[in-house]
Amino acid sequence: MANKEKGYLALVLHAHLPFIRHPEYEDFLEEDWFFEAMCETYIPLLDVYERLTAEGTDFRVTMSITPPLCNMMADDLLRQRFRRYYNLRLELAEKEVVRNRNTQFYDVAKMYETKFRRIRELYEDYYHGNILAGFKKFQDMGKLEIITCGATHGFLPLTVRKEAVHAQIKLAADDYRRHFGRGPRGIWLAECAYNPGDDVFLKAQGIRFFFLETHGIIYGSPRPRYGVYAPVYCPSGVAAFGRDMESAQQVWSAETGYPGDSRYREFYRDLGYDLEYDYVKPYLHHDGVRRNIGMKYCKITGKVQLNEKAPYNPAEAREMAASHAGNFMFNRERQIEHLNGFLGRKPVVVSMYDAELYGHWWYEGTDFLEFLFKKICHDQKSIKMVTPSEYLAIHPDNQVVQPSMSTWGDKGYNEVWLNGTNDWMYRHLHKQAERMVEMANKFPNADGLLKRALNQCAREVVLGMSSDWAFLMTVGTAKTYSTKRFIAHTHRFNGLYEQIMGNRLEENFLKDIEWRDNIFPEVDYRAFSTQEMEKAAGS
Amino acid sequence: MTSSGQIKKDNTAPEPEHKALPEGYGTTEAALLPRDPNWMFIYWEITENSKKNICRSHGEDVFQKGRQVIRVYDVTGGEAAKYFDIPVMLEAKSWYVNVQESGRAYCCEVGLIMPDGSFIGLVKTNTVNLPGGRVSDVTDEKWMAVSGDFDRLLQLSGVEYIGKGSGEVAKSLAQRWEMLRAVFSRASSWGVSSMSSQALNKPELAKKFWLVADCELILYGATEPDAFVTVSGRKVNLNPDGTFSMRFALPDGLVDLPVKALSKDETDSREITIKVTRATTTDGK
Repeated sequence: MANKEKGYLALVLHAHLPFIRHPEYEDFLEEDWFFEAMCETYIPLLDVYERLTAEGTDFRVTMSITPPLCNMMADDLLRQRFRRYYNLRLELAEKEVVRNRNTQFYDVAKMYETKFRRIRELYEDYYHGNILAGFKKFQDMGKLEIITCGATHGFLPLTVRKEAVHAQIKLAADDYRRHFGRGPRGIWLAECAYNPGDDVFLKAQGIRFFFLETHGIIYGSPRPRYGVYAPVYCPSGVAAFGRDMESAQQVWSAETGYPGDSRYREFYRDLGYDLEYDYVKPYLHHDGVRRNIGMKYCKITGKVQLNEKAPYNPAEAREMAASHAGNFMFNRERQIEHLNGFLGRKPVVVSMYDAELYGHWWYEGTDFLEFLFKKICHDQKSIKMVTPSEYLAIHPDNQVVQPSMSTWGDKGYNEVWLNGTNDWMYRHLHKQAERMVEMANKFPNADGLLKRALNQCAREVVLGMSSDWAFLMTVGTAKTYSTKRFIAHTHRFNGLYEQIMGNRLEENFLKDIEWRDNIFPEVDYRAFSTQEMEKAAGS
Repeated sequence: MTSSGQIKKDNTAPEPEHKALPEGYGTTEAALLPRDPNWMFIYWEITENSKKNICRSHGEDVFQKGRQVIRVYDVTGGEAAKYFDIPVMLEAKSWYVNVQESGRAYCCEVGLIMPDGSFIGLVKTNTVNLPGGRVSDVTDEKWMAVSGDFDRLLQLSGVEYIGKGSGEVAKSLAQRWEMLRAVFSRASSWGVSSMSSQALNKPELAKKFWLVADCELILYGATEPDAFVTVSGRKVNLNPDGTFSMRFALPDGLVDLPVKALSKDETDSREITIKVTRATTTDGK
């Protein structure tokens, strides 16, 4: 019997890191964020998709791979440095298997050796250093829907000039085409930050849907008939899907969420601190300071001191991940059956998470997803997994609602990105956007050196707009680094602006900046022109 | 850039970012940004030239005579029907603006109120549309069939989690990470770098050095929307969702703020008392 399902589940993973690449240093600490996420989340997810496909398990997942992340994945220097990173880890893992023979840590040591070998195998033999090709393969199969994001994860509600909002979307769509061979159908608005009306710029790029935090939909006007369990159309016709908080809390909750189980891997006991110094030193950064190296041998164990943590048992943890996946599916089945009866329509439950939660923060998270996909495919009938595009093809009829301004940040609005720690940024950001628009309007057909300089200005403006800098200042993590990055992009932009407007461009100055900030090799500064923005808004 | 960073031998060019950000951009302008349903952020720059022009047309002592304010206009529907003023110092250059009514359009003008009550505008901002922060009153016809169940639908949608999204969890995860760093790595590169955040500090003015600082008090809370609430014995008007917020001047000394709520049927009450002490000292220079 067809159509037995009672509703739909759309799993959405938001994969993002700010653009961090420092060719001026041999070895740069913050680049590790990318390498860690590659080893713990992005490549393991591809591994899951590969296995599911090989064994014939059908699945659906939606992933944003933000433009900064795409650009880092495709960058030659970072590819080369990533190889160095995992080869060093593999070398250490191999030594560790020998050292831990006949100890209670043997299984976990063996786990890392297998893991890093598999990473090398996937990265080299499957994807030849280009993991975007891996993601594209599953998109072309129709199992994965890759969506884009603002060009640099720019926080749009605090952007005064609409030309800059348009440029964030336009540059992102152009970059997506370069990597995936077609335009994006969906977008993850950075921080789910939505400003009513900005959806017209999505429409102009052919983008059909985006995602909102629950209250973005619930506080929309008129009242959304189905709450967050059906998408709504903005007046522009772009669809907005709202987040389901029940499934979000099940995973995220600090007290009852799955990742806190005592059998899962303990994040805070790391070999970078546990191993004898001279032995671990070759695997640390050049400064020789002990830091996390991503290999951890203990389980959470319970509420005990870090030195009382018990050895990690990979098999036991994997069983737990399977059991949690079963629990998650059971709850979605009940939820969807209940909603179906209540709404009189098949609900779509949209479960949205940061991708890096799976594997990086919650080490077993990728196992959890694999079990979840398998169970949903083989063990039940009430849930059908869909991508938003598939859903809209099945249900093109939806209520028209103007969603409310909202974000997925603390307190639900813009405060995380606008408070005493970061509000000083905006007068500089706005000035840069204004100057960029001024130049794009003044030079509609630049070529040669001037064109290169204008394109570099566009890169600097969008890099400064990353919501990550304001976020890191608020949470106090890597505050110095994020402050420095923001100031650096501001200076580079202002320097170029003065040279361009003073008609005294210095090629060496430009060249140095091009070499440092090489995001968007094919950027076109005209995305900032008022004419292009108006054309898009009127489309 | 970090202590772990090794400078390549072939690249020893000085980094251009070792300069402070510009103090201003030499144009008189202001911008208004939305923070949440009841708060906005305004920043402004008023050049010496603009000030001179004002003096020329309104008298040399206009800045001494006039009270410096932010005039907040409610421009919902296109016309500035209502406004209120917030006293500020022009040198503050930015301010958080609290408005009682969410879901409306606002713009601000920084200016001077003269002794005769007239207003001299110095610079005006863009308009900001604040979110309503609550369920819409607008229901379409199709809605009527299930409107009675809307509260249940809200529950199912997880309305109680609003504002407790993963941003908060991500924040606590980030803080755990930070804690780890603090505990284990005494010399982490994240905090130690060749350029500290001091670059942000206001560079000293070439002429006369100065400092202004003041402080106000914001009290906020929530209860049942139909409750009777007083703060220091004065009745407080609640927002439709039962929240309230007030902004007080905060003089030196002890401020005692008893907050009382009485249920509609007058059978139940709650009281919270907040005591705030302010002590300002200056070096007298």
